[in-house]
Amino acid sequence: MPRRPPATACGWDFASLVRQHQAMVFSIAWHLLRDRAVAEELAQDVFLSLHQHQAELESPEHVQFWLRRVTTNRALDVARRRLRRPMVSLENAPEPVAVTSTGDPLLGTALRKLVAALPEKARAIVVLRYQEDLDPAEIARVLGIPVGTVKSQLQRALALLREKLSRVVGQASGLSPGKE
Amino acid sequence: MAPLEDELRSALRRRDPSPDFTERVLARVAAAPARRARQPWVRWVAAMAATLLLAAGGLEYRHYQGERAKDQVLLAVRIAGSKLNKAQKKVQMLTHRSNS
Repeated sequence: MPRRPPATACGWDFASLVRQHQAMVFSIAWHLLRDRAVAEELAQDVFLSLHQHQAELESPEHVQFWLRRVTTNRALDVARRRLRRPMVSLENAPEPVAVTSTGDPLLGTALRKLVAALPEKARAIVVLRYQEDLDPAEIARVLGIPVGTVKSQLQRALALLREKLSRVVGQASGLSPGKE
Repeated sequence: MAPLEDELRSALRRRDPSPDFTERVLARVAAAPARRARQPWVRWVAAMAATLLLAAGGLEYRHYQGERAKDQVLLAVRIAGSKLNKAQKKVQMLTHRSNS
């Protein structure tokens, strides 16, 4: 006889809750940590924690907010622990792979590497803004910081990314078969 | 080139974890020890018990302080009594001497 999946306080079964949110939870962790195995492990821990706290969550929106908040905070904790290892800042980070044209899948890879080189808080803000499409007020609630901080960090991160990316694209457009 | 924000949305779009992710989560949930949800009445009972304990402790302390004060008063009375006795004996002795 198949085991009945555990029900949530919101009236859904836990398995469908995991299926519904796993891409969100895993992607936040992956974009913040750039390590698939660690991101999957962290995502599993988050869902295990969700199962333990589900009685406290009142609505689907509350579940989604809780998952974003817990995943981001845990991923930031892991990222901070990694800081003990030597790490380069965005300004000093090596240039990612050269981009030959727009729409190139390499551009996505380059951007993800640049985002990964941002300081943790700025990285979390960028991921929540562009992966989750949250506005600054929602990001501020998830991270528990003032909206003004979110806006200023987002502006600064975008300026840095724009500068780095233009250097990468410029480098790529300067390459010609004759020069190689 | 598309605006940076569009490129970011594309680069940071959601990805799926491994195909067996859900099963692995459910297996871990099944293996984890059940965590009993804390009932609200448990908090009330704990708060009441703590209040009663504090009140009983306070009463006991007051009782102890009263007993200690009583002992001190009795000791003071005994000391005063013995001093009075000595003084009385001295007075009697002096009176007896002056009479004789």
